[in-house]
Amino acid sequence: MTDRRDPLLKVEGLSLSYQTRQGELQAIRDVSFELARGSALGLVGESGCGKTSVANCLMRLLPDSARLSAGRVLLDGQDILLLTEEEMRLLRWRRISMVFQAAMNVLDPVYRVGQQIVEAIETHGVESTEPAARERVARLFRLVGLDPKLTEHYPHEFSGGMRQRAVIAMALSCDPDLMIADEPTTALDVIVQDRILRELKDIQQQLAMSLIYISHDIAVVAEVTDVVGVMYAGRLVEMGDTADVFRAPAHPYTAALMSSFPSISGERRPLISLPGEPPNLSDPPQGCPFHPRCAYATDVCRVEYPPEVRAGSHRAACWHPLDATLVPQG
Amino acid sequence: MVLTLFLIITLTFFLVEAQPGDYASFYVLNPDLPPEVKDQIRAAFGLDRPVWQQYLIHLKNTVTGNLGVSFGNYPRPVIDVLAERVPRTLVLFLTATAVSFYIGFFLGKAIAWRRGGLFEYATTISGAVLFTAFTPAFALMMIWVFAFKLGWFPVGKFLDPLVWRGADVSANYVFGNMLLSAGAFIVFALLVMLLLKRFGRAVPSVVALPIVLGGAAVIVAAWAISGIGGLALDIVKHMVLPVATLTLISFAGTMLLTRNSMLETIREDYVMAARAKGLPDKQVRDRHAARNAMLPVVTSLVYSLIFAIDGSVIIESVFSWPGTGLTLLQAVRSEDLPLVMGAILFIGVLSLLAHVVVDVLYVYLDPRIRYQ
Ligand SMILES: Nc1ncnc2c1ncn2[C@@H]1O[C@H](COP(=O)(O)OP(=O)(O)O)[C@@H](O)[C@H]1O
Ligand code: SF4
Ligand SMILES: [Mg+2]
Repeated sequence: MTDRRDPLLKVEGLSLSYQTRQGELQAIRDVSFELARGSALGLVGESGCGKTSVANCLMRLLPDSARLSAGRVLLDGQDILLLTEEEMRLLRWRRISMVFQAAMNVLDPVYRVGQQIVEAIETHGVESTEPAARERVARLFRLVGLDPKLTEHYPHEFSGGMRQRAVIAMALSCDPDLMIADEPTTALDVIVQDRILRELKDIQQQLAMSLIYISHDIAVVAEVTDVVGVMYAGRLVEMGDTADVFRAPAHPYTAALMSSFPSISGERRPLISLPGEPPNLSDPPQGCPFHPRCAYATDVCRVEYPPEVRAGSHRAACWHPLDATLVPQG
Repeated sequence: MVLTLFLIITLTFFLVEAQPGDYASFYVLNPDLPPEVKDQIRAAFGLDRPVWQQYLIHLKNTVTGNLGVSFGNYPRPVIDVLAERVPRTLVLFLTATAVSFYIGFFLGKAIAWRRGGLFEYATTISGAVLFTAFTPAFALMMIWVFAFKLGWFPVGKFLDPLVWRGADVSANYVFGNMLLSAGAFIVFALLVMLLLKRFGRAVPSVVALPIVLGGAAVIVAAWAISGIGGLALDIVKHMVLPVATLTLISFAGTMLLTRNSMLETIREDYVMAARAKGLPDKQVRDRHAARNAMLPVVTSLVYSLIFAIDGSVIIESVFSWPGTGLTLLQAVRSEDLPLVMGAILFIGVLSLLAHVVVDVLYVYLDPRIRYQ
């Protein structure tokens, strides 16, 4: 039996590597988090930090070169990494759906947009007849702010914003428990971006659906999520309630991210750009992976990976947390 | 289209005109022709007039379907000879193209989808070998193996005179009926598929195959009781080897192209999305990856068709198949100029038609083109 108070999703010690020509690339290391029913979690970090890889693990849509070396992904207490491919197929979209990062080509150019959504609805038997499925698509289109007539059009007739709305409608089509949105608005212009973001937030609350929102833009994440996780070099370096993390970031990387983006919700911060780039994951630096770019780095940071410090649900992995209320446990 | 046709006519005229001993003298000096025919020709073609007038007359004659009289088949008009030979070529090449496209596409998508197996390795290598094979050598090898060594099929030609001795119908009559049957069958099969697509969800698609097979059985039965079934069978026997050879040569190209095209579409986001939607593996492969991979393959179809028509000269001579290619070759050898021009014209027209058909097909397959 599942208890409503149990988390919907529980990720424990997830580690993933890709086999590449340069050798083994550790894209995710020991990532753990929980997601409550109906709440929104943000994953933030620069490009190449492993956010998309985490999302793909949850969908179990990994290339042949990927190897899951450790960890569990519990959906309602059931480890989906142990399911057969067929069981996993029936779970995809029905329980976990996804809005992809590169939204421009997510819709197949040779089919009508509505048809592509009907296809998902029929595969999972969400509606029993075709007219019912079409009616459902029309409802979804209205929900995401598209004219239902557009279901009969082809993807190339849509603008970028319309396509992304259609993709969101597609992700909602089977009433999933969890929707993953991977940089859903990155390719769009700022005004459309903002509008879609708000609508997404509204829909999520209206449907009481859980959401994982992935972005490199920490200001956007602040706007839509209840809980936020900051990723760096394949690790979850800080995690906590969005309000806590933004009020008092503990990890220097989080602080740097916050200052390098202008906040879209008003007050202006001085723009400090973050120097350098995330490390190459096939050959990460020793100790704390952030140390080559960190203003607070000391000798210990260069040798040993930092222990976890915590205050309640707020946690970070840093030798010198900026918020001194976070302390090592045990 | 009309312009291209005009260019073809003009080009053939002046090519022949440029031969030593011009167009006119070929007609008139041919010793096989009785004198009264020579007079007729002189009058009809205005051979005493300047070249440009001859050209205009030629143009008018061609457009009105008057291609002249064949020297080699005197007194049959060229158009009549072609009407007999053209269907034979078309049947050979359309069958081979359809079969090779189907097999090539099927194998191509399968090997791209299941990468890295022994199966992929074997098919890709043999595909590359067939693709680069020297056509005449390969055709001779096929004859040697299947006709001489195994004796499964006749060596060449269109029919076996021994079988036809005493037959009270002509080969063209039988062949014409065979074409009609094949055409009727194709229309029937397409109709069945179309209807099933319309009422797709109400009727399971497994009923399609029995219905189509049933149609085929009716046609075969009709032939069996018609009394000329044996003759038709003889023609079919003669067709197998050339069709198989052509198919083997051209399926490899389709297969390799489909494989490459497929390897690209597999990486597209919509294929990932199709999988994310939880569609069954086969549906992801056929409805999304292969459906898009088909587009460049169809474009190449026009080239392979034209290539196949050009190759008809080689294939038809090796198999002594009395189609347009062989006719052209024989006409050139025997200096049967009207027939040469007629055959070239036909090959040009056919290439043009292939172009148009593929264009139409492409518009049907790709909505991005449809709306521009
Ligand atoms: N299919 C793949 N094969 C090899 N390396 C990959 C593959 N996908 C991602 N990576 C690598 O994994 C790391 C994390 O990538 P990704 O998960 O896409 O990060 P993000 O979404 O945060 O930008 C990067 O270094 C990237 O180069
Ligand atoms: S552990 Fe050291 S290097 Fe790493 S973020 Fe903290 S202070 Fe900077
Ligand atoms: Mg990404």
